[in-house]
Amino acid sequence: MKRIFMSVRLLLLVAVLALISNTLYCSEKITVMNPAIANPMVDRVALTERLDSLDGKTVYLVDINWGGPDAAYGVFEEMKIWFNENMPKVNVVVKRKAGSYMADDPALWKEIGEKGNAALIGVSG
Amino acid sequence: MMKYAVEYNLTNVTGMPIRYIGIPFPVAGQPREVHKRYVRGNDMLSGKPMMPTVVEHLTKPLTKDEKYTGPAPAPTPEPRFLPPDTEENLQRLFKDKDWTDYNPIILPTEERVRAMLEGTSHAPDKVVKIIDWPGGKREFTVEKVAICAVMVGAKPEYMPLILAVATQVPFGNSTSSMANMILVNGPIRDELGMNYKGNAMGPHNEVNSVVGRSLTIMSKTAGNIHHGVTTFSTLGSNLQYNNLCIAENEEALPQGWQPYHVKNKFKPNDSTVSFGTGWTYISSVGEAQKSYPSHLLMRDYMRSLAAIGGATVIMDPTVAELLKADYNMNTKDDLSKYLADNVEKTVDSFFGNGVAATMYMPMARQGIPPYSDYLKLPGDTLIKPLNARSISILVVGGGIQTTWFVTDFGLGRPVSIDAWR
Repeated sequence: MKRIFMSVRLLLLVAVLALISNTLYCSEKITVMNPAIANPMVDRVALTERLDSLDGKTVYLVDINWGGPDAAYGVFEEMKIWFNENMPKVNVVVKRKAGSYMADDPALWKEIGEKGNAALIGVSG
Repeated sequence: MMKYAVEYNLTNVTGMPIRYIGIPFPVAGQPREVHKRYVRGNDMLSGKPMMPTVVEHLTKPLTKDEKYTGPAPAPTPEPRFLPPDTEENLQRLFKDKDWTDYNPIILPTEERVRAMLEGTSHAPDKVVKIIDWPGGKREFTVEKVAICAVMVGAKPEYMPLILAVATQVPFGNSTSSMANMILVNGPIRDELGMNYKGNAMGPHNEVNSVVGRSLTIMSKTAGNIHHGVTTFSTLGSNLQYNNLCIAENEEALPQGWQPYHVKNKFKPNDSTVSFGTGWTYISSVGEAQKSYPSHLLMRDYMRSLAAIGGATVIMDPTVAELLKADYNMNTKDDLSKYLADNVEKTVDSFFGNGVAATMYMPMARQGIPPYSDYLKLPGDTLIKPLNARSISILVVGGGIQTTWFVTDFGLGRPVSIDAWR
């Protein structure tokens, strides 16, 4: 009977030690290397000054062809209709830029610089 | 997506605190009434009526912040080591940071990374690539690549291949379900033990699996590709788990058919990796039939895919042998030419694909052929949108069945793996 009691005590001791060991192992702290890379930000550039009013001004609405030339053109046409209804003194020009959304269109930017007062460019997503 | 525009774009791309208007999505393909509703509705960003907000953005005086021109603020530092923590917590941290594909990773201890670096002669601080997309300017060093290699369970000998893969980080992705392909050629296939025979495209080989995964993990860590932050695909693609990582069965090519890298001016003993982007692949499903040979079925299936001008056929060696022996496809180019000459779709179907509409319709309206020529035709006219040079033919597989895939993946020029040994 005494031997059985000793065996049970020994088993309990082993179980407790295993539990402690496992707990210590799981809570052991390790150091690992960082896969992320510092990301330098770009220098800040100020926006151009805003207009006092849009009355008598020319606003270009430029579709960048995202999703195809017909994807968002209707949005700009609807914007033009809104201007006509609500701010008829604003001259609105709707344009598609040349090439895909990834291509530059210096001719259009030049035109806007010469003839326009403001531009809204989109739609992307 | 608006958060990307307002925050990420400002700090990483333009440096300008652009005044954005948020238009609800989707825009493309929507009836005019929807566009009208968007315009008459609210700006998604401010929650205020859209058009008065447009006017306000064009007329409201600039704030002090908007007038600021000057150096960028210092970037958030990324220390070489993460703060010590338990393995369980670190596994959680890597997931919380979206640095994994949500499968378990091997934690990159310094000891493991050092062992990984033994797989290349290049110094740990050598810059493999400066990653400037999607914005920013991150120096992707050999050590950072080794960290990712540990995470995916690579062995040091994989390092030259993974370093070559690293030159393409981050992988292509878009609001569409764009996916990527990794093709390995040359002696490295056998050196590492890649599987290019039976079940080559299945989850049955350590190297194919680990290297394919490495592009995803490198894209999510160094590449900064995170859902809702820098990537906004509606459906996504589960091809992005492994990136179609395959090796060509060069030894089984019929006589006259050259391995992909040799066709692209590399020597047979050069080891290379090539990358493709695409969306879809279609299987032959069953074996070849004499009543309707494989190349005819490839043509038929490819009609569904021809979107942006690139295509890749992946076939078992038995298909290649059959095409050569019975149908005079004596080189890969013969099959590419056959497909370019015979894959037809209507003008409307071609431009009906949003990617083709985005890329090629503006060119068509600019008068750039052949797209401008397509526009002069009735919409139901059949055109041949593929160019033979853009159709790649690959032989992969174990010679067990005459099956194949046609895909819309456009493969690029091979990259040397040997340069990274």
